[in-house]
Amino acid sequence: MEKTINRRDFIKTTTATTAGVATLATGITLTTFVNANENPVTNEKRWGMLIDTNRLTETDIDGMVSACQNEHGWGSDKLSTGDQKASWIKKLKVKDTATGRISNLALMCQHCEEPPCVDVCPTNASMKREDGIVLVDKHLCIGCRYCMMACPYEARSFVHEELTDQKEHMPRGKGTVESCTMCVHKVDKGEQPACVASVNSDAVIFGDLYDSSSKINQTLKKVQSTQIRADLNLNTAVRYSGI
Amino acid sequence: MNRWIILFFSLIMTGAFAHGQKTHSLGDEAHSIRDSGKTYHESISVIRKMHPEFLNHKRDKTLREGVRTEEYSLKGCVTCHATKKDNSNDYHSVNSEGQFCSTCHKKVATSMDCFSCHRTTPAQGAK
Amino acid sequence: MSIIRYEQTQGKSLGFYALVAGLGAFILAALGSVYFMEHNGHHVTGMSNRIVWGMPHVFALFLIVAASGALNIASIASVFNKKVYKPLSRLSGLVALALLAGGLMVLVLDLGRPDRLIVAMTEYNFNSIFAWNIILYNGFFVIVGVYLWMMFERRMNKYSRSVGIAAFTWRLILTTGTGSIFGFLVARQAYDAVIMAPMFVIMSFAFGLAFFILVLMASYKWTARPLGDATVNRLSNLLGVFVAAVLYFVAVYHLGNLYLAENSGVENFILLDGGIYTKLFWYGQIILGSLVPLALLYSPATKGNRTMLGLASVLIILGGLIQLYVIIIGGQAYPMELFPGKEILEGYGTIASYTPTLPEIMLGLGGVAVAIIAITYLVKFLPFLPESLADDVVDPHHKK
Repeated sequence: MEKTINRRDFIKTTTATTAGVATLATGITLTTFVNANENPVTNEKRWGMLIDTNRLTETDIDGMVSACQNEHGWGSDKLSTGDQKASWIKKLKVKDTATGRISNLALMCQHCEEPPCVDVCPTNASMKREDGIVLVDKHLCIGCRYCMMACPYEARSFVHEELTDQKEHMPRGKGTVESCTMCVHKVDKGEQPACVASVNSDAVIFGDLYDSSSKINQTLKKVQSTQIRADLNLNTAVRYSGI
Repeated sequence: MNRWIILFFSLIMTGAFAHGQKTHSLGDEAHSIRDSGKTYHESISVIRKMHPEFLNHKRDKTLREGVRTEEYSLKGCVTCHATKKDNSNDYHSVNSEGQFCSTCHKKVATSMDCFSCHRTTPAQGAK
Repeated sequence: MSIIRYEQTQGKSLGFYALVAGLGAFILAALGSVYFMEHNGHHVTGMSNRIVWGMPHVFALFLIVAASGALNIASIASVFNKKVYKPLSRLSGLVALALLAGGLMVLVLDLGRPDRLIVAMTEYNFNSIFAWNIILYNGFFVIVGVYLWMMFERRMNKYSRSVGIAAFTWRLILTTGTGSIFGFLVARQAYDAVIMAPMFVIMSFAFGLAFFILVLMASYKWTARPLGDATVNRLSNLLGVFVAAVLYFVAVYHLGNLYLAENSGVENFILLDGGIYTKLFWYGQIILGSLVPLALLYSPATKGNRTMLGLASVLIILGGLIQLYVIIIGGQAYPMELFPGKEILEGYGTIASYTPTLPEIMLGLGGVAVAIIAITYLVKFLPFLPESLADDVVDPHHKK
């Protein structure tokens, strides 16, 4: 026991030194690297996504869906049928009833600032990270599905069957709820979410909504964008333009 | 009352005697680390006794705060402690019969809940 | 009023054991269903990512709602001082506890990870209405337990009124909480209505009383104890009032929803073109579960007839289950309004389909069986039932 504490203290000091050195060396990238791995994420950032439905083709959306499936390993349910199959990101085709204009879009967890799923979860399993990413802590999830009832986007899936051979970075299991993680494991490494990376154009932009020098922030300042179910005042992190 | 004390101590002792057992299921990488004379965990008894706490602490850090260091990551446990199947490039699941996790857990009769969701073999072994 | 003597039931007859065996078979079937569902995962049920709550939740919520309603008899006696109901108070508390236990069993055993129930008891999110409900349910057991003790223990009798008031308040909050599970789901057009909470309270009055009447009449008939018309007719009148009140709330709820253009889609679905849900609503909930029982309770031809009262109670219970089915399943089946003013051509927006499977139904019936078996055994071991509820015992002013 004593040993453990010593070890912890040792690590703490080392971490502090590393961070210090990195800052002294002024490598902004270096500091970010340290932050991303060893220090807790903070609310100075808010990760978000802007989907331009004018530029997003149907092929792009199909690509986004399969990129998500490959990254996280869903979509190969053997026993679940119909609506029981996992669906983290959906392709939607929407027609304006007045003008008949059709737009295509990808719908996934909108990573709300005020997520209804987090409010209703009895065990705190539904949670929002400081940087705005909404996740399910499957260690605490009891499978009550109240979050699925509360989600305005039907973005969550319940695992209806036993799974094996999961992705190393994406634990998934029978009887718990899951949804888009905004590829948090990649974002923490400084990478883009899989679906964003799969689109070759600028039709989907990912970045820090708060950072005024980020592309997403600057684009959102220029173009007209909407949130789905904006009437609910959830302040989603996924925004759409062109619908 | 005495009966309960005896029962309690014999349960505790079972844990202590877990030292004595063979380590054929230690896992490939863990084996080679040990054979090379190096140590990964500075104290076997500490990691043996405390690993659930370490893992629980780490899981909250990683999932809720995004701290992604290697120390006490379950991925790390699986990577080192998984054993390859004979004449094959595939791994046994660490929690399957006779493998690293299950030997002790079976002996002390505690169930673990990690692998209802987590991958049970190193990622490299995936097809 | 003459002194009421309470006595255990004998519980040795062939009928008793037949009843226990029958209920036991249901409970075994329910446990088997749970094993089947949990072992395979929920893919063996009719539930899906669209219909996330299914048949087990219909039964669970019915039982929980009825539980708080069954306590009303005791509340009327101690809170509102109606002496005629006093002899029924103990049984009322018992039925309430038994129904809640049955309901919670169903709810818990349908969880994706029932093995993690301990997490639900140790990790609380106080923003969650579900978490409040966990506290409200546990508190209900404690408070009604204490209430029963105050009623059983002669030297404690003097406190039974104040504990009774506490229990009555608690049960109102509890049903409000249960209704709010749906009422606060702002995203779903079928649920987002504050009226859900009071509607659930009124529903609890009707369902709980119907169940209580059946238990009362059956236990007095099977133990050959006298049960006078003064008691039964009062209960029967009360039941009629409650059923009418539920109808009123249902009407207000749907009219209110119709007024909002946003909700007219789901209203049309339930009331006009929702296929099975429309049929269940009109034929099941409204005609079979409300109008027919009202006719049976009030029409001169059937009024005062115990068989008809029993039939009315059964119909109210069936109607109640159907009502919850329409609310829970029908409300989920209709897609949410994602893009107002737009039509979704692909990917979402169809009516979700749901076919309940046998294990789900067996689990639900198992909950009912648990409630009844608990009552059957407890009236055998503790003196819950007055040895006579004949008119002259209950009401001293009764004229022969």
